Amino acid sequence: MKPLVRLFNVSMKYPNGDGLERVSFEVYGGEFVYLVGPTGAGKSTVLKMIYMEELPTEGYVIVDQYNSLHIRDRDIPYLRRKLGVIFQDFKLLEDRDVFENVAFSLRVTGARTREVKKKTLRALAEVGLSHKSRKMPHELSGGEQQRVAIARAIVNEPFILLADEPTGNLDPKTAVEIMHILDKVNARGTAILMATHNYELVNRTHKRVISIQRGRTLN
Amino acid sequence: MGRLIFLLKEGFGGLFRARFASMVAVATVAISLVLIGFFLVVTINLGRLFENLRSRVELEVFLDDSFDSLRIEELEEQIQRFEGVETVTFISKEQAVAEFKQLFQGQEEDYFETLGFNPLPASFRIKLTESYRSSTGAEKVFRYLSTLDGIREEDIVYRREFLVLLEKYFEIALVVDLVIGAIVCLSALLLVSNNVRLIILSKQKVIETMKLVGATQRFIRIPLFIQGVTQGFIGGLLAALFLYGLIKLAAVELPGYVKVSWELYPLLVLAGGLLGLAGSYSAVRRHL
Repeated sequence: MKPLVRLFNVSMKYPNGDGLERVSFEVYGGEFVYLVGPTGAGKSTVLKMIYMEELPTEGYVIVDQYNSLHIRDRDIPYLRRKLGVIFQDFKLLEDRDVFENVAFSLRVTGARTREVKKKTLRALAEVGLSHKSRKMPHELSGGEQQRVAIARAIVNEPFILLADEPTGNLDPKTAVEIMHILDKVNARGTAILMATHNYELVNRTHKRVISIQRGRTLN
Repeated sequence: MGRLIFLLKEGFGGLFRARFASMVAVATVAISLVLIGFFLVVTINLGRLFENLRSRVELEVFLDDSFDSLRIEELEEQIQRFEGVETVTFISKEQAVAEFKQLFQGQEEDYFETLGFNPLPASFRIKLTESYRSSTGAEKVFRYLSTLDGIREEDIVYRREFLVLLEKYFEIALVVDLVIGAIVCLSALLLVSNNVRLIILSKQKVIETMKLVGATQRFIRIPLFIQGVTQGFIGGLLAALFLYGLIKLAAVELPGYVKVSWELYPLLVLAGGLLGLAGSYSAVRRHL
């Protein structure tokens, strides 16, 4: 089977010395993979390589038909439409309500109004927030805000969801809720690559784990 | 269609979402344009004032009483032929008396009756063409006139010192005007470019999110341009209204001194739009 995402000997250095060194791994369709390691190990950088916010100085990254060696700046938006990304700090737009935050992903791709409405409502239903679609982000709890972020990430029906410490800001109970939602998204066929330093959370499940330390993968 | 509506909504909606930044942007453009507009009005009116004063400058050539009408006609033709001469008006001895009497109206003594003859000579009053309305131009005409047969230098009168003084003041005014203009333009540029930074800062999160969910560069830029141009237009409109009020007020206080053609106002609005576009364009170029 062809991998969805492939990193091959990826190296990259930040000016402060952090970065990645010869990182290689693959993610296949429908997989749920944890990317674990301490803070500053390079987890976020790996995710940035995949949505091509950063490009490797050595090696290459292949995501779908896009290769980091050949990708042009103007192709990157089209790559990102095939991915979903969520963060520890949710990154919601505070100036618009829940519905508009989710719809935003579709609107920027020029989707038709009717399609935007249908897909947005479906994504909100999936994360259990249909009843709060007209609330503003600041009126929601942390867990709810992360659910909005997940809805925004999946509304475009991506083949992979990249999650950067999505439970990092949440209490244990809410974190479990979020994990359930991610499991549900995964069960529908979307691959998930989740960066976390919460080993306890990882140990509770039996999923593939990629460990990263000081910019190197361990296994 | 959905795309266009989104871009327009995002563009105009952004104005309200980032109210503070928008207001600062509009105020920035308005203040800059009021300053530039004010500077323009002052410059134009200053130029007009000097032109007006210059156009009044004339040379007068007094004619010897012995000249007959043929000689006078001949002289008039010779003077008219010189390129710096716009009009030549003949003032007869009788007209000179009439003017003299008007000038000294109400004086009891009648000099002409006392004298028993008219001592005032006939003369030519010479107005200069536009390019000759300067001290050097007038001097050239003066030199030419003094070469004419029967006319001596002392027969030619004009306000040489006044012209020199006028030019000196005009030069000073022009330098002051240019320095002020340069300061105004520079501060407008600084204000606008600083404002651009503010807009980008206020939009950073939206831009980041747009990039993350796969918006193309063009899709990110168009709403910013819409906002920039709209802010510029509103700023220009405010500046035009303010200046209109100011000039109306000046027309009441100093009637006849301040004149502005109506084209200034649409020009200010247009300049506002362009300033807004330039601001958002440079911001987008630098930060996206």
